[in-house]
Amino acid sequence: MTFFDLGLVLASVICVAGLVWRVSKWCGRPVRNSAPFSPLKGMQAFVVDVLLLARTGRQSPLRWIGHTLIFVGFMGLLLFHALDDQITSNFFFGYESTLDPWQFLRNLFGLMVLVGLGIMTYRRVANKKLRELTRFQDWFAFLLVGGIILSGFFLEATKIMSPRVFDRMVYEYLVVEDGSDLTALKAVWADKYGVVFTERLPMNEETLARGMELDEESCMDCHSNTSSSFVSRTMATALTPIGPALNRSQATEVFWYLHLLLCFVGLAALPFGKFLHPLTTPANLIVRQGRRDGEGETPSVRKGLGLDACTRCGECSLHCSVAPAFSVMGNSDILPSEKLISFKKYQQGELFGDALTAFADGSRTCTECLRCTDICSAGINLQELWMEAKQAAQVQRVDMNMAVRQLTPKGRIQTFECSDCKPDIYGLADNKESYQGCVQCTTCTSVCPVVAVCEDASADLDLMPQQIMNLLRMGMKEEAMGARMVWSCTTCYKCQEHCPQNIRVADVLYELRNTAAVRMRKGNQ
Amino acid sequence: MKYAYFPGCKIPHHLPEYGSSVEAVCAAVGVELVKPEFNCCGYPMRHENELASIFSAVRNFAIAEQAGLEIMTPCKCCFGNLKYAASRIAEDKHLAGKVAELLAQDGLAMPKEFNIFHLLTILDEQVGADFLRERTATPLAGVKVACHYGCHALRPGNITGFDDPLAPTLFERIIQALGAETVEWDLRLECCGYPLRGRDDIISAALMRKKLEDAGNAGADVVATACTYCQLQFDQERDLLPFNAPLRKEPPAVLVTQLIGFALGLDEEAVGLHKNRIPWTAPVL
Repeated sequence: MTFFDLGLVLASVICVAGLVWRVSKWCGRPVRNSAPFSPLKGMQAFVVDVLLLARTGRQSPLRWIGHTLIFVGFMGLLLFHALDDQITSNFFFGYESTLDPWQFLRNLFGLMVLVGLGIMTYRRVANKKLRELTRFQDWFAFLLVGGIILSGFFLEATKIMSPRVFDRMVYEYLVVEDGSDLTALKAVWADKYGVVFTERLPMNEETLARGMELDEESCMDCHSNTSSSFVSRTMATALTPIGPALNRSQATEVFWYLHLLLCFVGLAALPFGKFLHPLTTPANLIVRQGRRDGEGETPSVRKGLGLDACTRCGECSLHCSVAPAFSVMGNSDILPSEKLISFKKYQQGELFGDALTAFADGSRTCTECLRCTDICSAGINLQELWMEAKQAAQVQRVDMNMAVRQLTPKGRIQTFECSDCKPDIYGLADNKESYQGCVQCTTCTSVCPVVAVCEDASADLDLMPQQIMNLLRMGMKEEAMGARMVWSCTTCYKCQEHCPQNIRVADVLYELRNTAAVRMRKGNQ
Repeated sequence: MKYAYFPGCKIPHHLPEYGSSVEAVCAAVGVELVKPEFNCCGYPMRHENELASIFSAVRNFAIAEQAGLEIMTPCKCCFGNLKYAASRIAEDKHLAGKVAELLAQDGLAMPKEFNIFHLLTILDEQVGADFLRERTATPLAGVKVACHYGCHALRPGNITGFDDPLAPTLFERIIQALGAETVEWDLRLECCGYPLRGRDDIISAALMRKKLEDAGNAGADVVATACTYCQLQFDQERDLLPFNAPLRKEPPAVLVTQLIGFALGLDEEAVGLHKNRIPWTAPVL
């Protein structure tokens, strides 16, 4: 078995097994009442969203240019170069990989991919936020694709330079009548096509003319001038000084193995992480039929597809409405792109402990503003996922409000005992001066709509607003913090508006909730 | 008149009819809306982390200042929190420093001006009741409207400066300009209850019930809202009640821009009355 066959079989087995494993995770309960699929709209989505990458373009023109270059270049290389035995030679009569336009196109496509990768790398490096969101697999994908293209270019360049390859071709295709003919052909190939021979060749007109004749007879049917492979030939020219060394060390062989190895790694990596997005993202875009809303319930297979369609482009997190909350609180699960990873883990039952708490908190911070769903260039129905995540969050980790209500009076004191734990903004509730003017006139309590709506206010709310002010004035913060009045405040500000002594009653209750949040988090650790 | 339009987070998915009707009304009365990419107003996270809340709010002012515009929002909670944040920045140098640092991380500077207006203020002061009266094609004659003020624009009055916090008249002026009759009702300045959704649903529902019943008792045909959350509470949350719940019979909630849009004869799709869950059947006039 040759290296090629072995590599191809191994990579294919990994690829197929990985695909089966990945797709098997999509299955689940079927859902009725999902949006019907219209083939016409699906076709439209295929053309506009998949082929033209319209959703990417709408969000970021630079990214559109980069991605389009990679997409067109890579598909060109895949179809006409990698699959040339299957496609190009069957559809184009007289195909030879070393003839134009194929030789030229291969270089053009390769260069497009490299330029595209350059743009994408710039985008990830230049934007600080995006740089922080970029993970190993994002760089790995760039390196792998870039490696495939570069090794291909090096392979072609060293082939152009190699006298060994020249000798092999001569041996196979040329009947030499005498030694001077071979010299003449060598002279032409050194002069015009860039082969780097070790011996000195006569470069006179006569020899070159004879060489041209031989070239026309035996080579030109299968060889366009190497100058049309404009990238590789330029590289070969640049590498000429070290040409003999490259030739001696069989660089052609080395780059051939490297190029194939990287291609096989790429094939084997296809089912894993974002490497699958060239399959899942188009599929998801077609299934979504150009929709940008969060309507309808998605069947689980499509939901699985959607979860796997993420390209990790990070646009959602760059534009997230609650991204400022991430800047302050530092929980990366607030950001959609990161929350999606946790959501997947959660669905597969792989999320525990602090990671689960972070996921629940991040899910709750989401305001369901639809922006990430609207801009997602992979067309994922994120809105639906986040609404589901919120429900899951409440089951897995109750929010603070519920947690406080579940505490016993004794438990409250224990939970809130960390008196050094302070929220980022404090100083109102702690400060006795805040209540200096309080005359316990009970105005706050009498105007409070929450108190008014309760049948038995002291039983339902534990303490009345003016009692809370009184406790705080005496420094009994822990006792006040757990009172249901604090947590059932509807923030209508009537107490504060009506207070004859201008005490900031509602603001104080806000600060108590802030303080409790910090202390409970500390207590849970 | 040109403003940076701040729809807030809930409009795009949860209440698109408010967004479309606001845009239709603004276009009809000559208010140009520009749409910079704002972030959350910070109101929902204020319970947990006030710094995050204030930073979110101030970041929006910074974005508006970059666009060289003042902010207009149709949501009273967004309005209230942005106003609150501005007042905190003015009174607390230490906090302002912290927020400026956070802004700098995003390449933004602390704004010099903190100008935000609620839609009703623009309609009242810039457009004017007289203009609305002239433009009304279908006067809402005979429709009795209970104007629901919404807490966060009204209070704390010294910070929001929206109207007299104890005896506001702004909302009624606008509704009367449309030819409708406004009713006096006891609970018109009370809370809708939405802020307690998910935190204390029982009290939230009780606040809503009390309020809607009071509007009904005062003889109102509709409750007019001018806040995303209030409308969500009176319409969508009410619609989750059992089909035979008596509260469904109380006056339906209609957005102020839906009433204006209807009176001005604007595009029905944009006005979106058919999207309200508890329908208001406009009288044939």
